[in-house]
Amino acid sequence: MEEYVHITLDGAKVPVPKGTTVLDAALSYGICIPHLCHVPYLTPIGVCRLCIVELIENGRAKVTTSCTLDAKEGMVIRTNSEKIRNLRRKLAELLVAEAPNSRAVQDLAARCGVTEVRYPFRNHDCVLCGRCVRVCEEVWQARALGFVGRGKARRVEFPFGVKPDFCKECNTCIDLCPMTITPCPGPMKTGEEYLCAQCASQVSMAENMPDTCVLCDLGQGFQCARQTGQV
Amino acid sequence: MASIRELTSLRETLAAERRSKRGTIILCGDTGCEASGSHLLADAIRKELAERGLEDSVELRVTGCHGFCEVGPVMVVEPGNIFYCHVSANDAGEIVSATIERGQVVERLLYADPVSGKRVIKEEHVPFYRAQDRVLLGRNKLVSPSSIEDYIAEGGYSSLAKVLEEMTPEQVIGETKASGLRGRGGGGFPTGRKWESCRAAEGEPKYVICNADEGDPGAYMDRSLLEGNPHAVLEGMLIGAYAIGARHGYVYVRNEYPMALESAKVAVVQAEDLGLLGDNILGSGFSFDVKIARGAGAFVCGESTALMASLEGKVGEPRPKDVHTVEEGLRNKPSTLNNVETWANVPLIIEKGSAWFAEKGTEKSKGTKIFALTGRVKNTGLVEVEMGTPLRTLIYDIGGGAADGVGVKAVQTGGPSGGCLPTSKFDLPVDFETLAEAGSMVGSGGMVVMDERTCMVDVAKYFLNFLLDESCGKCFPCRVGIDRMLEIVTDITEGRGSPEQIALLEDLAETVSETSLCALGKTAANPVISTLRYFRDEYEAHINDKRCPAGVCRELIEYWIDEEKCTGCGACLRACPHRAISGEKEGPHTIDAATCVKCGICHDECQFDAVVIR
Amino acid sequence: MLELTEAADRYGRSQVVEVLQDLQEKNGYISREAIQAASDRLGAPLIEVYRVAHFYKAFSLAPRGRHLITVCTGTACHVRGAPRLLDEVKGQLGVEAGGTTDDGAFTLEGVNCLGACALGPVVVLDGIYHHHMTPNKLRELIRSVRDADGKRGEGG
Repeated sequence: MEEYVHITLDGAKVPVPKGTTVLDAALSYGICIPHLCHVPYLTPIGVCRLCIVELIENGRAKVTTSCTLDAKEGMVIRTNSEKIRNLRRKLAELLVAEAPNSRAVQDLAARCGVTEVRYPFRNHDCVLCGRCVRVCEEVWQARALGFVGRGKARRVEFPFGVKPDFCKECNTCIDLCPMTITPCPGPMKTGEEYLCAQCASQVSMAENMPDTCVLCDLGQGFQCARQTGQV
Repeated sequence: MASIRELTSLRETLAAERRSKRGTIILCGDTGCEASGSHLLADAIRKELAERGLEDSVELRVTGCHGFCEVGPVMVVEPGNIFYCHVSANDAGEIVSATIERGQVVERLLYADPVSGKRVIKEEHVPFYRAQDRVLLGRNKLVSPSSIEDYIAEGGYSSLAKVLEEMTPEQVIGETKASGLRGRGGGGFPTGRKWESCRAAEGEPKYVICNADEGDPGAYMDRSLLEGNPHAVLEGMLIGAYAIGARHGYVYVRNEYPMALESAKVAVVQAEDLGLLGDNILGSGFSFDVKIARGAGAFVCGESTALMASLEGKVGEPRPKDVHTVEEGLRNKPSTLNNVETWANVPLIIEKGSAWFAEKGTEKSKGTKIFALTGRVKNTGLVEVEMGTPLRTLIYDIGGGAADGVGVKAVQTGGPSGGCLPTSKFDLPVDFETLAEAGSMVGSGGMVVMDERTCMVDVAKYFLNFLLDESCGKCFPCRVGIDRMLEIVTDITEGRGSPEQIALLEDLAETVSETSLCALGKTAANPVISTLRYFRDEYEAHINDKRCPAGVCRELIEYWIDEEKCTGCGACLRACPHRAISGEKEGPHTIDAATCVKCGICHDECQFDAVVIR
Repeated sequence: MLELTEAADRYGRSQVVEVLQDLQEKNGYISREAIQAASDRLGAPLIEVYRVAHFYKAFSLAPRGRHLITVCTGTACHVRGAPRLLDEVKGQLGVEAGGTTDDGAFTLEGVNCLGACALGPVVVLDGIYHHHMTPNKLRELIRSVRDADGKRGEGG
C-alpha cells in the first residue's frame, strides 16, 4: 500500500505519494511550474532556480526550489504568487541574457513573462543546467564529463579536456541539452541577439494563462500543450 | 588518566607548581608579535634567566594572541600585572634584572596613554583593554598553546569532568539553552536548540564539527583562539558531543592557517595521551575522538554543507538546506557544526553557569563577542566586548579613532556577507538583530574601519569580486547575478555608469538574495545594498559627475605633478613600477598620462606633496 | 613515481582532498599523471579527482616558479594599499596574480586573507611573512631574492 501525505498547493489540499518532490507533485496535478534543470528520471540539483515556490511555515513564506523539496504532511505551498512570478521573470531575464541562442531558453523566458532584457547579451553556449553531467553519471554510469572549475569559470568538461575512451557515445547528453534547440531561422549573430518570441504558442500561453493552469505538459518538453491538442 | 580523581590530583600538582614560581614572564608569540621579533626576544629572555640561575624559579610562557596587535611584541609580567609593549630582544636583560629581580618597572616599556601621555603600569588599566570583557581572549595569556599541563593547571577540563560526573546530556543542553549562546560564526543560531535537534535526530554515528575555516577576509579571531587555546575548543567539543550523543568529531581548519593546524594537531595528540580523547574518557564510558582536517583554499567551505562535502573528499558545493544538517549532515548522518568561538564558550558556561553568561549582553544576544578591529584605525587587534557595546566604543575608545588623523567614514562588519555603516550609525549597539536591521551583520566578527580615503563604490566592487571568485558557481542567481552586479558596479567605477543602473542593481540584489541556494549567494548583495543605502551620494558622483570623491577609482582620477612644489628629487621616478615618470635631476618631473595606471605609488613617495590627484 | 600517502591506502575516496594536498606540497603542483594515479589508487572516478583539483585554490595545475610571492588581498590589507603591491610586482616582474615569470623564477598569487590583519599589508615570500609592506619594501625584497639567486648561479 503506497503511503500518502497531504499538502496544500495553491489553496488546494491534495494527496501526494510519500517521497515525491513538490515539483513532481505540482506537475502531476497540472500546475506547470517552469523549470530547466529538472529531468524526471535524474536526481534534482536545484541549480536553475526557476521552479521556486513559496513554502509557508509559521506564518512566514520561504522561497525555495520545488524540485529539491520533499512533500511532507501539512505543507502549504504557493507556486504562483506575485513575488514568485516576479523573481522567476527576473531569473529568466538573466538566463536569456546569458544564452539567447536557444529556442528552449527563449521559450522559457517568454513563458516566464520576460518581455525586455535590460542586460547586455552574452552568447554563451552552455547554461550549466547539468542535464548532460547527470545523465552520463546516473543513467549510463560512464562519468565521462563533469562540472569543472569554480564560480564564473565553471564549465562542463571532459577530464583533461579530451573525450575519454570510456565515453559510451550514447549522445544522450546532446539529446537533453537545451542549447541544441536553436531558434528558426538559425543561430543569432554575435551582437545581434534579441528576444525573438517567435514561438507564438508560448507567448500566447503566457498572456492567456490562468492563475492555476491545469493541463500543461511543460514537464514533458518545451512544447505548448495547446499545440499537442490536449487543451 | 583513567578517572576524574586522577585528573583532579594532576591539576592540583600542576597548579601548585605554578604557584611556587617567583615570577612569570608572559610573552605573546602569535603571528603578529612573532613578525616583530617576539621569538628572538623569548630566546634572549631564556638566556638571561639561565645566566642568573632563575630558569627554575621564573616561568617564561610564550602564548597566543593578547589582542593588542598594534603595539607588539606584547609582554605581561607577574606578579603585578605589569604590561610592556614594543619589547625587543635588547630589553631582555633589563626586564629580568629590574622587574623580576628587583620588582621595579621599566618605564620606557610601559604603554603611554596617547592623550595624557601618562604611563600605565597594569595591563588591566590599559585603555585598549579597559572597555573590553576578555572572557575568552583573556585566557590566552594563561596557557602556552602547546602545553596541556598549563591548560589543566588553570582549571582546564574541569568542566568536562563536571559534565561527566554530575550532568546528564539533557541537563547540558538545558544549560546551553538557558545561557542564550548563539552561533558565533555568523549564523547566530541558538546553540542549545541546535544540539537539542541533533540529539533528537535519528541516525548513527552522529558527528560534531568545529568550523575553523574563517574565510571572512579581515577576520582572525578563530585563528587566535585555536592557536592560542586549542584545548578550550576541544573541551567544548567534548561537552557538546556528550550532550548530543556523538562519537566522532572533526576540526576543519583552513589551509591558510598552518600554525592553527599545527596547534590543533598537537592538542589532539596531547589530549589522547592523557586519556581525555578516545575510549572511555576518564572512566565515564563516554568515548569521543577528533580528527583534524585541512581546507584547500575555498571560502565557500565555511558554509556548513560545503564544509561537510569537503570533509567527504568532494568539491565544496553547498546543498539545499530544506533538510537541516542536524538531521542529515556529514555522510547524511546527524551532525552539529559550530564555530570555534562558539565551542570555546561552552566550558566557561558549564563552569560558571548559564546565568553568568546570560547576564552579559542584550536581551537576545547574550555573552561576549570577539571582533577583529582592523583597517584605518589606530589600535588594530582583537577585541572582546559584551554584546550590546556601541560601535563607537569599539572604534574610538578601544580602537583609538582614526589612524593618521584622517576622518573615519564608515565601518564594515560581517565580512562579504555584511555591510558598511556610516558614522551616523556608530551609536548602534553591536548585537545580532540591531546590525542586521541596519543593513549589516555581526557575522564572524570582522570589523574594518574605513576613512575618507576609501571609496565606498570601490568597496562594493571589492566584495563582489571576492564573492564571484569564491562562489562555487552551481546555482544560477549567485554565479550570474553577482557577475552582472559586478559588471554594473565596474561600469560605475570606470565612468560608464548611468542612473538606470542603480535600479537594475537593486533589482539584481533582490533576485540574488531571494533565490540563491546557499548563504553565500543570499547575502552577496549586502555590501552593494548597504553602500547604496548610506553612501548613495558617492554612487551619484561617479555616475553623474564621473568623479570619485575619495580619489580611488583609477579611471576617474589623474595623477599630476605640481611643478611649483616639485624639487626634482626623483623619488617618484625611481618608485614608479610602470616607468611613467620622467624628468631631469633637480628639474620638475612629469607623469606620462598614457603610461600611468594611477596606482598611486608616486603619491605616497613624494615628500613635498607635489603629486596631486584630480 | 608518485608517493601517495598512507591515508590513500586506508581511507579511499574520502581522502581525495588530503591526498592532493600532500602531492601539491611534495611536487609543487598537481600533474596530469598525479590526477590519474590518484583516481586509480583511491577508486575515485577520474572526473571527480579532476574536479577537486580544479575547485580548490590551494592546488596549482601547472608548475610554479622557484619563488612564490603571495600578496594578501583581504579587506584589511586592501584598505591599507594591497593593490599597489600587485602593481609593484607587475612593474618589476611583468606578471599578474596567478602568473609565473618567463624565466620560471617567480610566481605571483593573491590570497583572500592570511589572518594577520593587524600587520597588513602582508606579503609571504617563500613561506616567510613580511608585514606592513610598501611598494618600496617589496621592490627591495624582490631584488634581494634575485641577487641571492644570481649568487647561487640560478638564472633570472
